[in-house]
Amino acid sequence: MDIETVKERAGPREFSPGDDLPEEYRKAATRMIEFHANSEIMGAYLERPFIRQAPSIDRKLAFSAKVQDEIGHGQLLYRAAETLGIKTREEMLDDLAEGRGKFLNCFHYPMDGWVETPMIAFFVDGAAMRRQATLRRTSWEPYAHAMDKVCFEEGFHVKHGEDILRTLMNGSRAEQRRTQEAFEEWWPRIIQFFGPTDDKSTHHDFAADVGLKQMTNDELRQAFLDMYVPKARKYGLEIPEYPRVSQNDEGRWVVEEDDLDWDEFFTVAKNNYEPGLGQINGRARAQEAVEWVRDVIEGDGAPAGGRSPQAAD
Amino acid sequence: MTLDPNDLDEREALAALCKRLGDDEFVLAERYTEWQVRSPSLESDLALSNIAQDELGHARLWYDLLIDLGYEEPEIVYERDADEWHHSTLVEQPFAEGDWTDPIVRSYLYDVAEKLRLATLEESTHPKIADRVGKIQGEENYHLEHAQNWLERLVADDEGKERVQNAVDRLFPYALTLFEPVDPDVEDDIVDLGLRDATLAEMGEEWLSVVIPYLESLDLDVPESGVEGMDGYAVTDEMLPEHVGRDGSHTEAWSDLFEEFTHTYHDLGRDQSTKIMGRPE
Amino acid sequence: MIWEVFRQEKKGDYHTHCGNVHAPDREMAKQFAAIQHGRRKPTNSIWVVPKDEVGEIDTDDVPFGGTTDKAYRWTTAYNLQTEQAREVEESDSEQQEAEKQRGEA
Repeated sequence: MDIETVKERAGPREFSPGDDLPEEYRKAATRMIEFHANSEIMGAYLERPFIRQAPSIDRKLAFSAKVQDEIGHGQLLYRAAETLGIKTREEMLDDLAEGRGKFLNCFHYPMDGWVETPMIAFFVDGAAMRRQATLRRTSWEPYAHAMDKVCFEEGFHVKHGEDILRTLMNGSRAEQRRTQEAFEEWWPRIIQFFGPTDDKSTHHDFAADVGLKQMTNDELRQAFLDMYVPKARKYGLEIPEYPRVSQNDEGRWVVEEDDLDWDEFFTVAKNNYEPGLGQINGRARAQEAVEWVRDVIEGDGAPAGGRSPQAAD
Repeated sequence: MTLDPNDLDEREALAALCKRLGDDEFVLAERYTEWQVRSPSLESDLALSNIAQDELGHARLWYDLLIDLGYEEPEIVYERDADEWHHSTLVEQPFAEGDWTDPIVRSYLYDVAEKLRLATLEESTHPKIADRVGKIQGEENYHLEHAQNWLERLVADDEGKERVQNAVDRLFPYALTLFEPVDPDVEDDIVDLGLRDATLAEMGEEWLSVVIPYLESLDLDVPESGVEGMDGYAVTDEMLPEHVGRDGSHTEAWSDLFEEFTHTYHDLGRDQSTKIMGRPE
Repeated sequence: MIWEVFRQEKKGDYHTHCGNVHAPDREMAKQFAAIQHGRRKPTNSIWVVPKDEVGEIDTDDVPFGGTTDKAYRWTTAYNLQTEQAREVEESDSEQQEAEKQRGEA
């Protein structure tokens, strides 16, 4: 199939592993799904200390279950990416360990305390879910199938995050103040979750043309702000002055992009953000430390799938 | 038997039993969760996370019985002093990064003991204990099979076997503390009241009679395996480590762990913990 | 040799198990399955898998989803009484449905 045919046919769940697809499509889809999978892993890595630090058994259970789900999502997504035949899961995880694999901006920032947990568990997960819901209609069928299960599970994450926020904002004055401070620190990063506005992006959006992406960054950011700004306010959070956000005549939220630090955003995107390197390297060390187990189970140098070439013939 | 609310010995016996059961599960789970996002593969990560959640859920079931005795939830976990925790020192041991044999060996040693002790509670005279045992047993088979499946695969490789042997050498003495008393008199009451139908000594002997032959069948050396042939298996004082946990004496690792998991609660100045779920039936 | 057969009705759907065929090898299994299992019901794709390669674990082996309270992993445990994003509501109702089915099983 040539790329023009791909663009003509591009529609929800249109392409599956049996199709003969051009490398351009397979590479673009791999890049997108790998990014998504890496983000699940790095999000889980960021949140894992809060399993221990949770202030009740109930929260501890929920945090453990949530981190477990994210690893499960990583498992589904790496598999969906593998079906494109460009990279194996092991290669993608190695790239992530070695600082080549890219992932969401928000998961580069270190987290220090419990009051920060709803910034990820409610706002970032809420944002992610807005995007993920649209990806159930992506053109790569295995990716859409992964999204079915992810979206099924993810509602628990967002509601759990909202419940943490609700408790904090109904807690002591100090809890409320510290939650507001955390919100101010995280808010610009959360807005940047969706990337720069479409008219500023220089490259032609190939992923949209071939049906991998179903909504633009602008549309998703709008949808996020429409839903989550009122929610933040409902719990008594004040929206910071900068970046300026305002409602236009249609009642929709608009962000002054120049108020955001795009140098930092692109530094983060390239894995060069100094404070975030601890997370990339920490996870890499953990992966390397259990390398011996994979060798024991699979045998040294065994090809993926665990079959010798002779047996496969 | 229904609990006599005025009999202090009964109350003390029940509380001691629930704490030793609950504390083991809670602290073991706390350690297991360290493997989340650090296990050898995504699939093994999911499995161990689930086991951790099972154990935490079991801790909650045992702690809930303390509520019947008039305990408040904060004093059970977040406001209890570190030296009033009665878990075995096996479950508080820290992991060396990447030493996957440790959670596996620990799980095996623990889950055999867990299986045996749940069996001794099946006919408990306290109906709520007997009732909860069945639910917990439903999840424990997977834990034991999971540990054995891993052990059998790890020892099939030279490096894996050496690491498993090291973990057995290190953890075995701590595992013996699972059969130590919180307080000898209270332990007698637990049996006399029929809350549990076997003594700790009997449970320890039975555990040794299961664990030693199994580990030896994997061609592993078991510390103290010489006890066989004298007068059967028995846990003796010489075999025990310095800190047994049950009496409130713990290894250094415990204070760090305790500090970490109570940090947020104190940092936020909380005086109660969040309840999402109602009390279990 | 026995081959398990999985049929996908239309593009984007899941391949679900629909039966099996006897066949000497994979090529023949595909040809036979196309007729035996794809000739009448709407079919977009068929997978064939050697029966001996299929492992099974059932409710006798493991209590799927556990036997103790795991409410914390379900949306329904979090009673917020606030308006939810559409996709969160969808997840909520899918989970309610799954819980109901688990209860009935």
